[in-house]
Amino acid sequence: MRRIDALRGTTPPKPHDARAIAALAANPGCARRALMDGAGVDKDAAARHLGFPAPFGQSPFAITRGNQFEALVKSDGCAELLRMLRELLELPIAEVAYHDVENVGAHLRHAHTRALFERAARGEHDAGTLYDHPLLSLDIAGHTAYLEPDVVAFQLEGRFHIVEIKSFAIVDGQADPAAVAAAARQAAVYVLALRTMLEELGHDPLTVSHDVVLVCPENFANRPVAKLVDVRRQLAVLRRQLTRMTTLDRLLEELPEGLTFDLEPGEDGLPLRRAADLADALRGVTARYAPDCLSTCDLCFFCRNEAREEGASDLLGRNVRDELGGVASVEEALGLADGTRAPREGQEEIARLLRGAERLRQDCLA
Amino acid sequence: MSDRLDQLERRIDELRAGVRRAMRARDAVTARALRADLRAAERTWDSLVSSPVQTPGGKRAGATTVRERVHQALDALGAPAQPRLIVAVSEAFFSGGLRSAQLTSIRRDEERSFRSSPYGRPYYLCAALTDRLSPARGLLTLSAWPLERRVVGPLSPRVDFLTCAAAVAQHIQRSAGPSPESLRLVARMGRNIPGGELVELGKDVDPGRVAEMALAELAVHLDRDTRDRAELAARAREQLDDPARLFGAALLSAANVGALGKEGITA
Repeated sequence: MRRIDALRGTTPPKPHDARAIAALAANPGCARRALMDGAGVDKDAAARHLGFPAPFGQSPFAITRGNQFEALVKSDGCAELLRMLRELLELPIAEVAYHDVENVGAHLRHAHTRALFERAARGEHDAGTLYDHPLLSLDIAGHTAYLEPDVVAFQLEGRFHIVEIKSFAIVDGQADPAAVAAAARQAAVYVLALRTMLEELGHDPLTVSHDVVLVCPENFANRPVAKLVDVRRQLAVLRRQLTRMTTLDRLLEELPEGLTFDLEPGEDGLPLRRAADLADALRGVTARYAPDCLSTCDLCFFCRNEAREEGASDLLGRNVRDELGGVASVEEALGLADGTRAPREGQEEIARLLRGAERLRQDCLA
Repeated sequence: MSDRLDQLERRIDELRAGVRRAMRARDAVTARALRADLRAAERTWDSLVSSPVQTPGGKRAGATTVRERVHQALDALGAPAQPRLIVAVSEAFFSGGLRSAQLTSIRRDEERSFRSSPYGRPYYLCAALTDRLSPARGLLTLSAWPLERRVVGPLSPRVDFLTCAAAVAQHIQRSAGPSPESLRLVARMGRNIPGGELVELGKDVDPGRVAEMALAELAVHLDRDTRDRAELAARAREQLDDPARLFGAALLSAANVGALGKEGITA
């Protein structure tokens, strides 16, 4: 058994979806997350067992709303989508061919997708324009993750465009930046998966555009509107993170012998293992908590609790942590500031800054 | 009937007395059980008393069955359509009262009926066939249509949409006083046809103009689509038996690879 599989133990690996892969790119520095995702550990189950269940998971109302909006955009042979693509990308009138990849059985869908895109990339005459429910795959640390973009559009001057349908509104040309960023990260995963597939088929991966088409409801009505979003930055982060996951060996070497996150269930379906034991195992791997984790990682409450116990500067957010480089805890930072703690080697610079800040604060208070 | 009512009234009286006795004895468990019985008896009494007086007009929508209404809408459209559109058309031109949820299992029911007594009904609501001759997701068709109309090639979804848009527009032109629903429907469809960008929500639309635009775009796709569909229909005639021709061949799945078209869907 590979070391990484031993880490997961006896339970089957949890498949990654685009949302999870996108979240990976949100915190590239976290070894705990990299290892658990690399091994395919069910982080949600682990968090629940530890008594720190994740605060999120999509609400059923949001899912229904999302599905309804998607059905609206795709209804009548993607009539709404075609109108938007014609406006946005100047899609020629004749380009309306539509392939619903979901018409084949689930296990054939991936092969069918490959065949369709092979035909499209070779530029055959009847290559389609819209591909609904294609099934792409991406290799995540030795495991194959299957991904389903909403729609892939093709034949806009020989380029593929990922279409991402989201149900948050664009009001007056503005949308919630966090929602757009999440959508862009997710779309980047699809772009990467599609590029990988084309490369495997022997075509130029750059025929997949880095401009993804984001479709959202406009203003307060349900009428869809499309915008182009550039995902080059998200792609770069994602690619770096995925390469790092395939080179987990370095992280694995540093782990104590026999460490495992095994969640083998007992008869009642709950993990047999004691929660404290699992917590100890998790503490054996360093996490890099940041407040942003609260919206992307299942283990966020556990890591936050740990950071609080340690009084870590991570709690204060990424900016502060980066400014305090080399100072791990809030207590240490305060000690350096009021001079009760002598700076260690390499901390002189930050200590000088902190003392300066403390002096300014005293001046203000006096 | 009145015997039944008398009986019930006696039982209600008994139960009331029982509840009072139990309360006096401070036996909360018995009292609760008796109260529940009492309520049930009272409800039955209520329904017996009020049942003969039925609200008139409540059955208006039930005068035609769901399948008849779907047939009506599909016949007006003249092309394979999704439940959403069928419901909208029924609402716009006919009695309405359809819900998408009612249409989810209709194809399976029709298939079951066809298999138990083939051609026992004048028409069937059946599937559209994909390029793999399997049933297309979420599309309904009529058995009376030629196979060429019931198969869908790559361009067919768009062609069918344009056909439906033209049919809806022409239907409005023919009718004397078009309903607001029908005008909304034609406006919604018109916006998604080139040249229809000017159609504004809430404004009056010219159905004749929508039909014209739809037919204009249709002319672009029609040649290739007709060719694709003829080819598919020929293949369907060759490879499929009667039920599969109407309801589609079973999807290839791990269990029945190789049995394509022989069994159809039996589940």
